Amino acid sequence: MSFLSIQNLHKNYGSTAIFSDINAEIEQGEFVTLLGPSGCGKSTLLRCIAGLTEVNGGRILLGGEDLVPLAPQKRGIGMVFQSYALFPNMTAAQNVAFGLRMQKVGKAESAQRVQEALAMVELGDFAGRYPHQLSGGQCQRVALARSLVTRPRLLLLDEPLSALDARIRKHLREQIRSIQQELGLTTIFVTHDQEEALVMSDRIFLMNAGRIVQSGDAETLYTAPADAFAAGFIGNYNLLDAPTASRLLGRPLSSQVAIRPEAIVLGQGPISAIIRSHSLLGNIIRYRVDAGGVELLVDVLNRSADDLHANGHPISLDIAASAVKEVA
Amino acid sequence: MSRADAPGASLYHRAVVWLLFLILLLPLAGTLLYSLATSWSATILPDGLTFKWYLQLWGEPRFLKAFGQSLLVCFGALALSVVLILPLLFVVHYHFPKLDALMNVLILLPFAVPPVVSAVGLLQLYGSGPLAMVGTPWILIGCYFTIALPFMYRAITNNLQAINLRDLMDAAHLLGASTWRAAFVVVLPNLRKGLMVSLFLSFSFLFGEFVFANLLVGTRYETLQVYLNNMKNSSGHFNSALVISYFFFVLVFTWAANRLNRDKA
Repeated sequence: MSFLSIQNLHKNYGSTAIFSDINAEIEQGEFVTLLGPSGCGKSTLLRCIAGLTEVNGGRILLGGEDLVPLAPQKRGIGMVFQSYALFPNMTAAQNVAFGLRMQKVGKAESAQRVQEALAMVELGDFAGRYPHQLSGGQCQRVALARSLVTRPRLLLLDEPLSALDARIRKHLREQIRSIQQELGLTTIFVTHDQEEALVMSDRIFLMNAGRIVQSGDAETLYTAPADAFAAGFIGNYNLLDAPTASRLLGRPLSSQVAIRPEAIVLGQGPISAIIRSHSLLGNIIRYRVDAGGVELLVDVLNRSADDLHANGHPISLDIAASAVKEVA
Repeated sequence: MSRADAPGASLYHRAVVWLLFLILLLPLAGTLLYSLATSWSATILPDGLTFKWYLQLWGEPRFLKAFGQSLLVCFGALALSVVLILPLLFVVHYHFPKLDALMNVLILLPFAVPPVVSAVGLLQLYGSGPLAMVGTPWILIGCYFTIALPFMYRAITNNLQAINLRDLMDAAHLLGASTWRAAFVVVLPNLRKGLMVSLFLSFSFLFGEFVFANLLVGTRYETLQVYLNNMKNSSGHFNSALVISYFFFVLVFTWAANRLNRDKA
């Protein structure tokens, strides 16, 4: 059996089901992401694993032991919150030491472990600062050190990067990933940001409306979406219903199809179209084209300004059969 | 250069502020001077200065008793407030956040009902029967609790909302703290500022309260304000010394409240 095994987990508030029949197997040392839009139940699932929210049925086995009857204090789980949740009346070092204080770890050992944990998140020199004297990124690193210092069996990260600005977010996600790999720590990360999920995870659980829609590594999720929701949530897939797709591709199709915008070749091919608009996304130009009444997004590498096709310009395009994914 | 920086405008603004300050200060300064005067009737300035009224006041057992009883009632009411309101706030904000709306209506009641009206109601309720407390300090402590409630509830609520109570409690729980431990070690220290400020504010207010004290208890348990009222026919110099002493005491408290407010800002 795997290290963390979630079996038939149910949660409802009154008569509203948040999620039901959640099953997941997570291996030791794995970095798993729960990805989904807000309200899909991913944060509630995380809180249930932590024991901060009660479940209505099912089991959560960690190393073979059922966590459900255990209080959060007894689960040996570390968690980082979106709001940092640092104790404002304590310095960075006191925050990190809090868990050790609760475990009655000796002063000398505690001081040493706190220093190590702060050094690991590159905040060794900030031990005496209070949270209000630290930036958002620094606060979140203190929170990370605080959750790691007690050597949890499982680390839960609840949208830890969402409150930070883009540059710090990028740096911190690399830092989290490298610390996680260094410690071999089983980690569950919750996010609504597909890029974060694709970059960081060993495996992604894509959630929608209280169920796991698809799970797999980044490659699988990106190139083979299981259904229309997955295709719509990850990447910027063109979703076409069966009749429209049949008309566009000139062959009969029985189900909805998803076509990645970068899989469409622009400038050659059997399909004629007109450029409606374009937007520059840095290294990529995203065209909105009209192919016989079907609107498509087409992404093209921004090689040089000469390649730019003007709006209203007629153009031909090609869609390889392998780029057309039929989705349920 | 903004208008306020122009020399003429600046002078004008200063003059207005100082004038206002003087107008507000004048009665107090007059009272202070009167309390230090040997006698002051037919002349512009007092005949001579003396501390005898203060010595007489602070040597008067009835005054000292009233002063002590005022302190006792105020501290009693505030202690009761702390003991009841802190757990109440914690429960409301942690377990039943929806009750906050109801609490906001409840805490307005002491303001909505004029003191004379509620005093009459309290006299009816507690004048006889199983809870006959009229004339004892207990009814004042209970009544002052309701007056302090809005100040304390609001100030501490603001404090609580600023600290993200739920996440802090969750974090403390996951790090191994029990709910009690987390409340004392993590939440309470962060409420210190709001608690202290609201305590000082309530104290200054309650210390000067007269209507309830006079109607509910009167001379049977004389507080400072009731004593002042009962002494209104004695020497004006003596009463002035009383008023100044009272002002000075409240001033020290207000100053302390300000200091506390500033320290952690």
